[in-house]
Amino acid sequence: FAFQFPRLRISWGLHLRLRLLDQNLVKTAMAVKGSVAAGHFIALFCIIAVLPSATAIKIYTRNKVYGVRGEDVRLSCYFWSWEWLSDDVTLSWSFRPEGSRETISIFHYNNGVPYIPNEREFKDRVEWVGNMGWRDGSIKIKNLDFTDNGTFICEAKNPPDIVGSPSSVQLVVYEKGPVQAGVVTGAIVGAVLGLALLIVVLIYLIKCLMGRRRVPVKDISIVEKGKSGKAASGRQGQVVYASLDQSSKKFHSEKKSKGVEGSKKEKK
Amino acid sequence: MLLILLFIILFHLASVVLLFISTINNAWWTKTNSTADIWQICTTNETATYCSPVPSTYGEYIQAVQATMILSTILCCIGFLSFVLQLFRLKQGERFVFTAIIQMLSSLSVMVAAAIYTDQKDAFHNNDKEGDYGYSFILAWIAFAFTFVSGVMYLILRKRK
Repeated sequence: FAFQFPRLRISWGLHLRLRLLDQNLVKTAMAVKGSVAAGHFIALFCIIAVLPSATAIKIYTRNKVYGVRGEDVRLSCYFWSWEWLSDDVTLSWSFRPEGSRETISIFHYNNGVPYIPNEREFKDRVEWVGNMGWRDGSIKIKNLDFTDNGTFICEAKNPPDIVGSPSSVQLVVYEKGPVQAGVVTGAIVGAVLGLALLIVVLIYLIKCLMGRRRVPVKDISIVEKGKSGKAASGRQGQVVYASLDQSSKKFHSEKKSKGVEGSKKEKK
Repeated sequence: MLLILLFIILFHLASVVLLFISTINNAWWTKTNSTADIWQICTTNETATYCSPVPSTYGEYIQAVQATMILSTILCCIGFLSFVLQLFRLKQGERFVFTAIIQMLSSLSVMVAAAIYTDQKDAFHNNDKEGDYGYSFILAWIAFAFTFVSGVMYLILRKRK
């Protein structure tokens, strides 16, 4: 469209110039262009309408989640639907204990309201931490116990997009969080190497500073030697410089006007 | 002079190799069917070998052993590079002090590692009656001797033309 508009304008201008008085022809040209545009929109709409039947609602959860006894764990569930999010969108979580074939429902969301049944096992432990606007249907299980080992199933439906298989995440509860393998190792290695590097840098800096302090003393001794050894030549050099200076000044004063001469004489 | 240089380089390289083998090979503790080291426990049956990481019952001491073994290996390698650098940079008659310090630190490190492992052996292996120290453990102690001698040699030697 961005490219079409300049062309339209140019052609429009041409039309105006060529058939300025022929309003009927202009009107038919507009109608043809309008119908072409409408045809584009209808085609696009057909494609969008046809797509959903080919795809279904997709639900994403993690495969395995590890929890620590007594702490909280967040079970995340994200879904994607080609349809706009309607008010009738529903999301439900159910739990199947390890080694059991029964599934109990622990959470349901419908019409913008989360329902937590507070059954005997999950009483006051389920919390809704998701956001339907972001298509996030996550819940948080608090105060974990070993009886929570099992599979949690997340299911979402967004009418008219109701075809889609639920996704399950397995929860494994540990006794206590073990010290992550390698934390202590990495800390010790890093600390010692860092300390060693710091010491080396410090020693190098100290050596540099000590070196700088000695240099001025050397310079002074060299200068003194230079003064005593080359005094005569130095004076000669001064004399040379003085004569050059005088000559240049004379040269300048001759060229410039009398008014400036006075100031120059003062400078001398 | 060249002979001494060659000998020292070979000695240093030998200690590096010993440290690498000791850190990596799975042979700190051997039993009839399984071998263990500071990283994992491997069990062999007729068909295959199953290796699993060191369990959390080992505690944090095993991580200290891991850290000090890694540290000593790194320090020994850095020491070798420093020796080569000092060989070209030092003036005549000066000692390889920097390299000596690094080697001594490496030796101290591997001694700490082996010492912790020896002390915590019972805690690691649940007071196992059967089983014995493997060759990696022995190599760790030998590496300690090698790095110590190497460090002393660097302290004594002077650079010659």
